[in-house]
Amino acid sequence: MTKKRKRWPDLQQKLDRPWCYYCDRDFDDLKILISHQKAKHFKCDRCGRRLNTAGGLSVHMSQVHKESLSHVENALPGKQNLDNEIFGMEGVPADEIERHNHEVTAKHFAEEQERARISGNPVRGLFSSGTGATSKRSGWKRETVEDIKVHAEEFRKHKLNGTLPPRVDELPAPGPPAQAPGAPAPAFSPPGQGFPPPGAPGAPGAPGYPPGQPFYGGPPPPGGPPGLPQRPQIGGPPPGFPPFPGQNGHAPSAANEISASLDDLIADAKGAAAAAPPAEGPPEKKAKKEKDKNIHLVFYHDTMSPEELMAELPRYAAVN
Amino acid sequence: MSSQFELAQNPTDAISAVKFAPKNPDELIVASWDRYVYHYDIQADHGGKLLQKFEHPQPVLDACFGRDDMEAYSACLDWSVRRIDLKSGELTVMSRHEKGVRSVIFSATYNLLVSASWDSTLHIHNLNSPPGTYTTITLPSKPFSLSASPTKLVVAMANRSLHIYELDTLAKATAQPTIVDVEPWQRRESSMKYMTRAVACMPNDAGYASSSIEGRVAVEWFDPSDESQSRKYAFKCHRQNQDGQDVVYPVHALAFHPVHGTFASGGGDGVVALWDGVAKRRIRQYQKFPASVASIDFSSNGKFVAIGVSPSFENGMEDLPDGTIKVFVRQLSDSEAMGKKK
Repeated sequence: MTKKRKRWPDLQQKLDRPWCYYCDRDFDDLKILISHQKAKHFKCDRCGRRLNTAGGLSVHMSQVHKESLSHVENALPGKQNLDNEIFGMEGVPADEIERHNHEVTAKHFAEEQERARISGNPVRGLFSSGTGATSKRSGWKRETVEDIKVHAEEFRKHKLNGTLPPRVDELPAPGPPAQAPGAPAPAFSPPGQGFPPPGAPGAPGAPGYPPGQPFYGGPPPPGGPPGLPQRPQIGGPPPGFPPFPGQNGHAPSAANEISASLDDLIADAKGAAAAAPPAEGPPEKKAKKEKDKNIHLVFYHDTMSPEELMAELPRYAAVN
Repeated sequence: MSSQFELAQNPTDAISAVKFAPKNPDELIVASWDRYVYHYDIQADHGGKLLQKFEHPQPVLDACFGRDDMEAYSACLDWSVRRIDLKSGELTVMSRHEKGVRSVIFSATYNLLVSASWDSTLHIHNLNSPPGTYTTITLPSKPFSLSASPTKLVVAMANRSLHIYELDTLAKATAQPTIVDVEPWQRRESSMKYMTRAVACMPNDAGYASSSIEGRVAVEWFDPSDESQSRKYAFKCHRQNQDGQDVVYPVHALAFHPVHGTFASGGGDGVVALWDGVAKRRIRQYQKFPASVASIDFSSNGKFVAIGVSPSFENGMEDLPDGTIKVFVRQLSDSEAMGKKK
């Protein structure tokens, strides 16, 4: 694992590497950078003494050798002047840092692309279809307690009026809305990420993920459905959800608490979030099936090897 | 230093096996569906010289060298295992199976010749005894591929089953020239989902690689301890993405390099790749060959690799396109097949 990471560091790891202002080389750590600068750029060519900075070398040259230093050795053109007091990463002008970061970023993505092309693997963070980043949860926003309170208030109003908001199966998907802050995000993917289109063959009845529809986020639009995922209908999972053993028992009991207090509601939202992962099963399987479907076996036979089939060809069978 | 050439005189039908001689790295035999076993000296002329060819009554499905460079054995579709005297050209029937013979292999350490037939038996010939004496071992399924390490024999069969025999046990079993019930040292199920296509043992006796018809190669170790077993893995290869569809080719050929312990895989896509099974890295992949790779073998000194290329017969091709049945010989530079440095 660690080795792999070292082979192909991600962008942040690359950006974090110290680099030399004078020659744009990057290094594993600051110590090595400093010794590089001392050896390559701040070394006195008269006596070999390694100074810490260009200014230091300049003073050394004038005091010891009675000479004046005109430029920094081995520096890229335009970076040879002695005025910038550089030591390791200290003293590097901000615009230079920005330029370097920009270059590293551009290079990183070019490399990723190239590697993906050569290896045939999808670019990191993308599905093989090339769409959607697994790590970016666009359109999803963690709800604050205030949001939840608003939703709860709205829900109670609806409950009193008898106008319950749309059920969960009409909503996009059971998201993890009231997740405790800092808790790890569930490992399923947001919509629009290479799931097969709803209604694709392979998993009939699986909840289709309307692509591009945002997860629950922020306060609900006026008049729109509240952002909280609704419990499944009492008496079983909503249509479209295959019955899950674990969920079956949970769903109705959760629904019974429907008129409970705010605390219950929040707890229940958590429960819904907890119930969500099993519900992710079908779409995932579906995606896998879809993947399997998209391969073409050049040779396939259950029991006969190519040679056996070939031996049955008339031109060989004739001599039998 | 590495160069590649194709043999000047190639078989006229699909190639089933290419094998180098155990001692002389220049001698090569090629078995073909055109009913001949060919014997070449790859260095003699430009493009090698065909020394002799040996006619069989029916297509030859496999061949191997025997105790020295002067004798070879063949597995023929006419149910027979034959000894070929490469000098005199004399063919002697060693045994008859009840169906076509798929593979034949020789173990130098135990002086054993093992043949595997679609009648789901192995014939074990102790070469110290006269031809015609052999011991039969019944297998649960049809064998598809055989490979021997210095002490083990690996038999890959239909239904994804795999038996590992200790050659020592087999050698002892040859004391009885009948059908004997030899318990395999280990019974395993292939770690791949699809039919096993080829199997090849590591020269260092540690384990083996197997390949399936679904573009996949698995590397496993003999040692039954959990620690060793947890090291096994499988990977995808010999696939091409065409218009968003993954076209998956069978991996027909596997061969280990006798010196470096790396291995080569050859697939229906006409690609030969070299792998470092320990470092789990691909070392290199060669340019595509004009047709499916049927068989690969490294010479005993590891300096040459022979690649038998013929049209992918798995498609049940009725007629063979001309000029695609070829044996390529590649001279490897010293470090070409070397594994990754640690």
